[in-house]
Amino acid sequence: MSERHKILIVDDNESNRELLIDMLEDDFDVYQCADGKDAIAVLSNQGNSFSLVLLDIFMPEVDGFQVLKVMNKLRIIENLPVIMISSESSPESMEHAYRLGATDYIPRPFNMMIVRRRVINTIMLYSKQKRLIETVEEQVEEKEKNSEMLINILSHIVEFRNGESGLHVLHVRRITEILLDALTQKTDKYELTKSVKAMIANASALHDIGKISIPDSILNKPGRLTDEEYKIMKTHSAAGGELVNQLPIYKDEPLVRSVYEICRWHHERFDGRGYPDGLKGDEIPISAQVVAVADVYDALTSERCYKKAFTHEKAVEMILNNECGVFNPLLMECLTDSAEIIKSELGKDMIEELSLSESRLIAQEILQSKNISNSDLLSQSLTYERTKNEFFTKYSDDLMFEYIKKTDVLIFSDKASDRLGIDKTIMSPQNNKALLDAMGLETHNKLNDAIYNTTAETPDGECILESAGVSWKIVFRTLWSGGELTGTLGIVRPVIQGEK
Amino acid sequence: MNIVDCYNEMGADYNDVLARMMKEERVKKFALRFLDDPSFELLKTSLDAKNYDEAFRAAHTIKGVSQNLSFTALYKSSHELCEALRGGKPLEDVSLYDDVVRDYEMTVAALKKVDE
Repeated sequence: MSERHKILIVDDNESNRELLIDMLEDDFDVYQCADGKDAIAVLSNQGNSFSLVLLDIFMPEVDGFQVLKVMNKLRIIENLPVIMISSESSPESMEHAYRLGATDYIPRPFNMMIVRRRVINTIMLYSKQKRLIETVEEQVEEKEKNSEMLINILSHIVEFRNGESGLHVLHVRRITEILLDALTQKTDKYELTKSVKAMIANASALHDIGKISIPDSILNKPGRLTDEEYKIMKTHSAAGGELVNQLPIYKDEPLVRSVYEICRWHHERFDGRGYPDGLKGDEIPISAQVVAVADVYDALTSERCYKKAFTHEKAVEMILNNECGVFNPLLMECLTDSAEIIKSELGKDMIEELSLSESRLIAQEILQSKNISNSDLLSQSLTYERTKNEFFTKYSDDLMFEYIKKTDVLIFSDKASDRLGIDKTIMSPQNNKALLDAMGLETHNKLNDAIYNTTAETPDGECILESAGVSWKIVFRTLWSGGELTGTLGIVRPVIQGEK
Repeated sequence: MNIVDCYNEMGADYNDVLARMMKEERVKKFALRFLDDPSFELLKTSLDAKNYDEAFRAAHTIKGVSQNLSFTALYKSSHELCEALRGGKPLEDVSLYDDVVRDYEMTVAALKKVDE
């Protein structure tokens, strides 16, 4: 083992800890916690930096089983092995610990050489598994990238003939992703999993392949099309669907079905007055409905041989006013909600952004469904760390706290815990009597209201609280994931008189 | 007195602890650390305060530590006490506690005779 692994020892008895440290410190960087609460605080913050936890069962207040439960909620138990060490040798306790995800159970009295060996073996096993997961991820990424490239080449051919830059395809794809994400936050009636959404986004690139059947003279005509020419132009959607349907192989593959739906029906209208089939409402597959909005938006905001570009605001207004077709009202809500995101995303350099993120998501889904392990943990916790750091740098370091909803644990910084005279770690803070007493019910409710007034888009807030004759200003940021409130970071400051 | 004689005096199994901890020096270091272990004090105060949950944990710690150090007698009596207190049950049979006191004092007396 080249780099030194970090091990966390959790035991309330000092000489137990020292004995374990004595036998492990030559090979590992050993850290210790004297109780379960402390362990939860350390694991919530830096769980990912440890390679193994040695955990006692009976400890005051928060016992080893509760630590395991929190590790389950944080989902760090999947990547961080836990070895229980206890003189508790009843099968019930051992079974309980194993059920909660403990990797191994070493009963006392233990042999030092065996403990050391088991620790080393477990760490090796987990590092091997981690490397394996990374390999799978890389391969899925590679595979996705290849098929994405082929789709892009194909759609680029269509665009090229159309005299366009190829940006249209990338734009439609990005808007499609944004709208699909917004849609899944609103409703689950369309059964859009991460991989279905990625598939639709991929398929969206091919929405206009039917245009290869349209003569150049019509496709690239600078002026207005005659009625006859327009009629021919309109055949491109049915032609695209036909093209896909005549594929000798693969035509029953989900991706190809999705391409078919999008090609054939991206010019249908929600009121049934579109073409080629006059489908109405949700008779039109949701993939085609979403791509239709994306297509119209990008057509409006781009310059074409027959028109100038409209501004983002004008384009959204025209779509919402049904000036360019009639769409699903739900999708109109999604467009309104994500208008700002679309505007800023399309301003970016799309070609550089060719999303590797999707392949990562898909790799995760595969890994999850194959039940190997959950690898988005790393990226999740990195995002969390980044948000946290950014926030703390932004507001300087006063009295800080963080609350993680999943584990229902509130953690104060050392300074805050000293100054406010509250425990550093508080489990289930909503029901914690000491905390409620310290704050007072009214103050508690006021803070709660302020927190629930934030949204994922506007996560920052502040409020002034009076407690025991002192005014405190609380600045906070709520954390969100998939439209759900997942936690709060905050800073407490005494209000200086006259400042209020 | 050296550590081997100390184990003999308290009727404990020195060979067993040496096999598991591998070095005499280490056995001595951690055996002597037992003199500073607060668990016995905690057991006493918890029982006085009728805090049987806390008493259970203290007895459990004594059991674990003495088991690891092969303090055979103390391990046995603390194990009995521990089982009687499991789940925060009030202590009915006080003689179980008296046994632990007796074995604890015997163990500590032997440890105190060890030369630094």
